[in-house]
Amino acid sequence: MNNGEISIEGGSNTHAEESVPKAIVLNEHAQVCLQHLLRVWLGFERDLSKVPLLRRIDLGTYTAEDHQVFLRNIRQQVIEGSRWITRTASSFDRDHAEIRSTIISHAVDEHRDYEMLEKDYVASGGELNDILSMERNIGSEALHGFLMHQSSQPNPIDLLGAMWIIEGLGEKMATSWSERIQELTGLGEDSTRFMAYHGHNDSEHMERFYATLDSVCVSDVAVKRIVKTAKVVARLYRLQLEEMEHDLK
Amino acid sequence: MSVYITSTGRFLPGPAISVEDVEKVLGAVHGKPSSLRVQIQKANKIQTRHYAIDENQQTTHSNTEMAAKAAEQCLDRAFVGREKVGMLAVASTQGDLPAPGMASMVQAELDLPEIEILTTHGICSSSIMALKAAWNSMRLEEHDAALVLSSELASRLLKKQRYEAATTSTFAAKRIDFSTEFLRWMLSDGAGALLLQNKPAPKGLSLRIDWIRGFSHAHALPTCMSVGSAGRPEDTRTWQDYDTYAEAEQDGALLLRQDVRLLDNLMRMGVDGYLRLVEEGVSKPSDVDHFLCHYSSHHFRNKILEMLNTAGVGIPEEKWWTNLYTRGNTGCASLFIMLDEFLRTEELTVSEGDRVLCFVPESGRFNTTYLHFTVVSQ
Repeated sequence: MNNGEISIEGGSNTHAEESVPKAIVLNEHAQVCLQHLLRVWLGFERDLSKVPLLRRIDLGTYTAEDHQVFLRNIRQQVIEGSRWITRTASSFDRDHAEIRSTIISHAVDEHRDYEMLEKDYVASGGELNDILSMERNIGSEALHGFLMHQSSQPNPIDLLGAMWIIEGLGEKMATSWSERIQELTGLGEDSTRFMAYHGHNDSEHMERFYATLDSVCVSDVAVKRIVKTAKVVARLYRLQLEEMEHDLK
Repeated sequence: MSVYITSTGRFLPGPAISVEDVEKVLGAVHGKPSSLRVQIQKANKIQTRHYAIDENQQTTHSNTEMAAKAAEQCLDRAFVGREKVGMLAVASTQGDLPAPGMASMVQAELDLPEIEILTTHGICSSSIMALKAAWNSMRLEEHDAALVLSSELASRLLKKQRYEAATTSTFAAKRIDFSTEFLRWMLSDGAGALLLQNKPAPKGLSLRIDWIRGFSHAHALPTCMSVGSAGRPEDTRTWQDYDTYAEAEQDGALLLRQDVRLLDNLMRMGVDGYLRLVEEGVSKPSDVDHFLCHYSSHHFRNKILEMLNTAGVGIPEEKWWTNLYTRGNTGCASLFIMLDEFLRTEELTVSEGDRVLCFVPESGRFNTTYLHFTVVSQ
């Protein structure tokens, strides 16, 4: 990481400016919803610093073994991710054809991401069989159970709140973690491809997110549903990350 | 009971030092110019600043003297006798003496008899803690007037001799040690003073204190800015755990450090607190006429700010005002020095009824503070 330090005001800001999505005017409900979602995200992100495994990234003591534990534990969620997303798409009726199309294309983008993750694991010094045989950790079970249940409900617009958290974390992995992990562990780029990949097309993702939020978040009830699901997913996602310490391998 | 800031004062030691001359004052470590200075100065955009040390790194004004000088100016401008002042609250990151509290020393310097004193300890937000405590004492009607001072003498921590003495530190070991050098090119010296009264000044503009709030995130986030440890993750000793202070100094445990990698959290937590106040209905972004921020707006020009705009709660850039670029980043003294100039500058029009939102974040361990004033005249 060349002068990663100064990039807080130089490099990374330029990057951030470039990826700022086009100005969009949201309806009032969507604006309030975004205010709440921002706070849910900021609280989630801050509390990641309390997760022992991730705190070691902050403190500079994260090791290659930690990285293997992380990848081994996150794979199941990535596999299950495409399942709840596709189920979400099928739970929307024809009055929601637009959002259904958006979700289907999103699912196509990501449904084989776990293969990249498996390669990263091997590049990090792990045995392929270990990651392939890894079951869902306790937090992944809870997160997966909740998401499959919510996505089976008719017109599950609240899952926008889930996407907000999960996509946000994907972007954080790309911008804050992947290079730092290489620097701390001495591992190469090929061990963090899954993390780095999620930084791509971020501005386009945000535009799509805003457009969807504006179209479905048109009442107080919708705001409450979306924000509540974001909170549940943030909590269960953190549980999944906390449970990595109790690696079931 | 309403409480008003009825007078302000400031003290900036010595001449304004330009970007190029900063290293002449702080000194080049081992006679070698810093390879990071220009880069860091370009990023912080501070054009001029002041130091209470001279080009031989000898102290020209003590921290106590600077605080007292700002206080004298504030009291000279006040429409009330100094005998009415019942409380003195003083904030600094590091007073001249580790003990007693700095307020005792400043009280003596100002010769204010039998007054209630308070010293607050922290970094940038310590002045807001002092102001809030004084405001609360006034609200309890214990005093008719209170003097709140904030003063910083950071240059004593930043002079070349500190770095030269740290022979076994991370600074000595690395070719470039960003975390120990970052603040060297950021911070400078100065003091500010505010006088609180239970009624507005008879002439000119006063600031009514509407609310002061703070949210600290130390429970979750690691230490970001500190003095007292050697800056190695595996080493838990603090400066007093070494056998001698000399060993602590050699090991770099007395150097000022900033873990810049964690600094992004400060902006994020700043936005979180702001949104919390909006959510609670305390702050209405559309009502804000002036936004005074301890951090300059260019630090915030990124995605999160853009999201605030999209969420309908951004503060337009023309409402931002700061004097950090010309007076320097003086830590806890910054906001008071800013308020003093805000009420006098011709750069903008400040009128009765204007609403002023201030934001003072502290990176130490992520304390974010917010203040709201209304401009009034009697």
